[in-house]
Amino acid sequence: MIDRETLKPGFEIPTISRPGDYQYWNRYAGVNYEFAGHHMDDAVGQYEGFEAAIGMGPFIHALMHVLLREWVGDDVGRIVKVGMQSRRPWIRGRTLTEGGKVTNVREEDGEIFVDLELYGDNDKGERLVIGNGVVAIPA
Amino acid sequence: MTVTTLISPEMAAAVGREYQWATSYPIAESDIRRWVSAMYYPKTPPRLYWDAEYAKTTRWGGIVAPEEFNPFAWMRADPPGSMGPEAATPWPELDLGIPCPQFKANIFAGLEVEFTKVRMRPGDVIKSALRLGGYHEKEGRLGLMLFTSREDHWTNQNGELVRISRGNLIRYL
Repeated sequence: MIDRETLKPGFEIPTISRPGDYQYWNRYAGVNYEFAGHHMDDAVGQYEGFEAAIGMGPFIHALMHVLLREWVGDDVGRIVKVGMQSRRPWIRGRTLTEGGKVTNVREEDGEIFVDLELYGDNDKGERLVIGNGVVAIPA
Repeated sequence: MTVTTLISPEMAAAVGREYQWATSYPIAESDIRRWVSAMYYPKTPPRLYWDAEYAKTTRWGGIVAPEEFNPFAWMRADPPGSMGPEAATPWPELDLGIPCPQFKANIFAGLEVEFTKVRMRPGDVIKSALRLGGYHEKEGRLGLMLFTSREDHWTNQNGELVRISRGNLIRYL
């Protein structure tokens, strides 16, 4: 259950992390039919101009939903919107950490809507993605 | 010869057209269990997604799929036998029946998804209608990059809108 005291602009929600390795990527590939060579083979990633294989963008986006639900609570909250833009690839071997900050809180039609800025960084401190999200909980 | 644009007149003329329609098989509880097992690995996923008795006690009244769940992965009910062409060839020109530009690789650029209050549940059949949003180009680290935007509307078997997604794909030489 979300602590309603956290529903304030500036509050930083708890982060989540995933190692950039095939144990995680292949599970996502298996459920989302993501079998492009650059997600499975360092040589393909290198041919396409990257240091190694790269993680799936839709996986990074999907994990933003997990990030939001782990904060707001699956049973109570609902996700209204998740937007994300890529800045750098998630290179195999680098850990992804996603987080976010509350930017606005408003009440509408019996629900509290919370706007957030979202991000995904690697363990070198490089920003891989930027994003935004909206969650709603009953007022 | 230096390529100055990858956008042909046929591509420009196709902007705004719907080009791909799909219908999912009914969503199975095991589809949802597998999805959340991948998303939450190595943790045990929340019970809302796999424990029917527990899920009944929540505001949702039963098991629901997580918002990001994709019922179109693997085979689709319609087109029959379709094995997820969107994942294999996410660019639209083949379905639009127009020539596809030459490119070396494609990568995901971004995605924005808006969800309604209608959740996907076991037994639901989801329909997708995909539209070409537009093209634009810019020079980047990878050279000339072609951005392709697509908009996808999902509705359930009751005709209720479930989500709208707007995605961007980058192709480069």
